[in-house]
Amino acid sequence: MANDVQTAEIKKPREKMFSKKNLRVLREPLSDNNPITFQVLGICSALATTVQVNTALVMTLAVTFVLTLSNVFISLLRNKIPSKIRIIVELAVIATLVILVDQILKAYLFDISKQLSVFVGLIITNCIIMGRAEAFALQNKPWPSFLDGLGNAMGYGWILLVIATGREILGSGSFFGFQIIPQALYQAGYENMGLMVLSPGAFILLGLLVWVQRTITKTVHE
Amino acid sequence: MLEHYLSLFVKAVFVENILLAFFLGMCSFLAVSKKVETAVGLGLAVTFVLTITAPTNWFIHEYILKEGALAWAGEQFGSVDLSFLNFITFIATIAAMVQLVEMVIDKYSPKLYAALGIFLPLIAVNCAILGASLFMVEREYTLGESVVFGFGSGIGWFLAIVAMASIRTKIRYSNVPSGLKGLGITMLITGLMSMAFMLFSGIQL
Amino acid sequence: MHSNAYTFRFAATVTIVCSVLLAGAATLLKPRQIENEELDKKKNILASVNIRPAEGESFSRQKIQELYSKYIKGVVVDDQGNIVEGKTPDDIDPKTDTGLYPLYEYIKDGQPQAHILPVSGKGLWSTIYGYLALDTDCSTIKGITFYKHGETPGLGGEISKDWFTANFVGKKIRDAEGNLVSIQVVKGKVREGDPQAYHEVDGISGATLTGRGVTNFLRSELKKYEPFLKKMTEAEGGHING
Repeated sequence: MANDVQTAEIKKPREKMFSKKNLRVLREPLSDNNPITFQVLGICSALATTVQVNTALVMTLAVTFVLTLSNVFISLLRNKIPSKIRIIVELAVIATLVILVDQILKAYLFDISKQLSVFVGLIITNCIIMGRAEAFALQNKPWPSFLDGLGNAMGYGWILLVIATGREILGSGSFFGFQIIPQALYQAGYENMGLMVLSPGAFILLGLLVWVQRTITKTVHE
Repeated sequence: MLEHYLSLFVKAVFVENILLAFFLGMCSFLAVSKKVETAVGLGLAVTFVLTITAPTNWFIHEYILKEGALAWAGEQFGSVDLSFLNFITFIATIAAMVQLVEMVIDKYSPKLYAALGIFLPLIAVNCAILGASLFMVEREYTLGESVVFGFGSGIGWFLAIVAMASIRTKIRYSNVPSGLKGLGITMLITGLMSMAFMLFSGIQL
Repeated sequence: MHSNAYTFRFAATVTIVCSVLLAGAATLLKPRQIENEELDKKKNILASVNIRPAEGESFSRQKIQELYSKYIKGVVVDDQGNIVEGKTPDDIDPKTDTGLYPLYEYIKDGQPQAHILPVSGKGLWSTIYGYLALDTDCSTIKGITFYKHGETPGLGGEISKDWFTANFVGKKIRDAEGNLVSIQVVKGKVREGDPQAYHEVDGISGATLTGRGVTNFLRSELKKYEPFLKKMTEAEGGHING
């Protein structure tokens, strides 16, 4: 049965690699169907790692790696996975990829892995990854799944980087660790906004970002 | 000793709430906080599962995965370090425990099953559960501490989601700008709640 | 629908592939990870006596090793304050060797410059590990670093930041009579003109409990080394020559 489905797929005329449909798969998650602001997924790690741009960037790269590869692998296995153990197989694939990322970070980016601490492990429970595996990779071929993973990871990443930029500049006066608010301003009485470093800052910035984005795209929820 | 556990409990519930200070379990928090009853149901289920999985994972970590943990199986295993398997075993344990709890509740308490049942599968991918297990390892808790921490984190999460659900039922009658409706205003309120919880950080323990 | 046998076969294959992959990666990367932890400790020992790279730069792996072997000497002291000959900090296992404490000496041009004590203890959530460097008068703090902790980022996690550790530099752990008073992390800022200010440092807002933890474990750690520090101060009126 499984084999029949596969041969049927191969016989279909080949779709172009960057056909309109595939490009849409890549582009949509960036704005109209953003995983964080529209699908409301994967917020935990989005907020926790955004105190500095540095950690947010590494987190984005880690999620991109896991999300694209898990989408590809699950798509490759989509006709082979017995439906009874579907979820646990998905979890196994994702967890394996996450452990790989964690091991590599520990070996080559030790300082950053120290800062990310348990949040690398928590990529496993990042709902975006499970969500895309279930909603897209199980029904689509590897290449569109790859694009879908990449698109969603980038959609996740830009939100992360915007919040991190805001929090780092307002909260610590720096960007990528370099001081950008001039010393003169501090002498004139300017102070870093301590709230931004703490958790409420992240919640409030994300709330405002969602407001701006939804006003621009004119989406109304509820 | 009792004092120590009590202080850990208060810390986990109020001082650094797993949801409001560590952002864990946000997805289900946002999705299921529209009605108070469902929020209570999910909150209870999370507390329950957290209290069970934290000590279960403690045993697994302590006697199987930790560096040198296999020493009980014989000298030659004394130096084996399986801690790189932490994530995958923890998540598998959590998924298995959730399934087990679901079956037990279904068999012995249909009433409770009707109330919690639909939430249980959701919990396997709730980051608060995996997060608590990972924190337990990072902070080198003892068995007792892991039980108290699991339970405390659950109660903290329960409190936060029930409070949020109550606020959201009221907010339906307010005139919120259209772009801010839904996720936007919820995030802002969570921010304010998180600020309120920060006041507990000055608590004397 | 797949048969049960197929399901089992599939599950077994996935399990084997995943575990082989992970075990391979872990074994391959393990040596480098262990080395990283060692280097991180050495880097922090150096940083506690203010040997650190220029802002925005970082030491290469060789540079850390080179600086460490040039300036730092690891010794072991017992609870009577004597240096145990022939042992290095790597030889002691904190679980079995009670009464033996590791210590690092910062030696420059043959002259001892500072004693570096490994300190650790409970913060709000987790065990905090760090290095405290004392001047040769055994009272003035030359520097402190915290390199491993599980405190909340932005709150207790700030202890590893420079702005916090910089407050310790120049503080005294002894009063005018030479009694050990340790260091007090206060709530908020140290008040100006406070007679106790010589051993007080600014706290972290929102992380009072982490600060209290640091105060407590610094005191108990310093007590462990007190016999040794006493001996050092008595020798030649507060100065030791190498």
